[in-house]
Amino acid sequence: MPDRPIVYTVRGCHACVKLLEKWESDGRVFEERRVELSQATLDEARGYGSLVPIVVWPDGRVEQGFGDTLGCFI
Amino acid sequence: MRSTTSVVTPARFAQGLTYADFLAQIAINKDKFAQSYETVPLTDDDIAFFRKANAHAGGPTKILILAEAWCGDVYRELPTAIRIAEATGPVGSMEARIFFRDQNADIMDEFLHGEKKSRAIPVFVFYSADHNYITHWTERSASAYAGLATAMAEVKTELKLPQSATMGGLPDAERQNFLRALIAKVEPPPEQWRKDAIKEIRENLGTALEIPNA
Repeated sequence: MPDRPIVYTVRGCHACVKLLEKWESDGRVFEERRVELSQATLDEARGYGSLVPIVVWPDGRVEQGFGDTLGCFI
Repeated sequence: MRSTTSVVTPARFAQGLTYADFLAQIAINKDKFAQSYETVPLTDDDIAFFRKANAHAGGPTKILILAEAWCGDVYRELPTAIRIAEATGPVGSMEARIFFRDQNADIMDEFLHGEKKSRAIPVFVFYSADHNYITHWTERSASAYAGLATAMAEVKTELKLPQSATMGGLPDAERQNFLRALIAKVEPPPEQWRKDAIKEIRENLGTALEIPNA
């Protein structure tokens, strides 16, 4: 079980950028996995959801989207 | 009204990627693009219309496409523009050139979408042989936008949320329930949305060129 959240992102997705900005400003420790760079990572993300950002928390909870936006369909 | 000066010069257009080059460069979703390409819902009537538009004085001979390979709207709709170009006639009758949105922000800035001026993709921009802008189409059909709005309203009702509820205003758990229910309603997207996209592109071209859309 990872000890920090994993976030699947696309750097061209506004909601992903907003989440990353928030987490970085909060000083949160996390692992970013960019789905636009690898089919394997994209397939991995699709196992959790359809909208990036997708956050997989250490306790197994999965969250999609961020804030007041849907996020981006992948 | 569009600006009379554009960063999309004939020389810039020529720098865009062919579909084959685009496919060779992308790392993801090649299977999605292939599937969409094989299932583009162009009818014989559609093809006849695009050939007529292509042959019309000042008609489209170039399609500029803004895209990113990760985007669901792009891998569903981009092949439609390619098939329109291919169906128009002999090779060269209509050229399609693809530009990655995030490497071509200056082009994207000319085609920001809607009141929020979003960087929505795909964008298909039609130009004449002498490189006059004709019209453009962005992201998804009006029926797709309406379908998403309807699905959101239905989910709010099902989850007993007020219609005025916004995702940002929902607690995390409720927001996730909302998104899961919404995704279940709109994935996979109805095929009709792709047909409606073609209908809208026809309408845009028909209006811009003042030719019957039939």
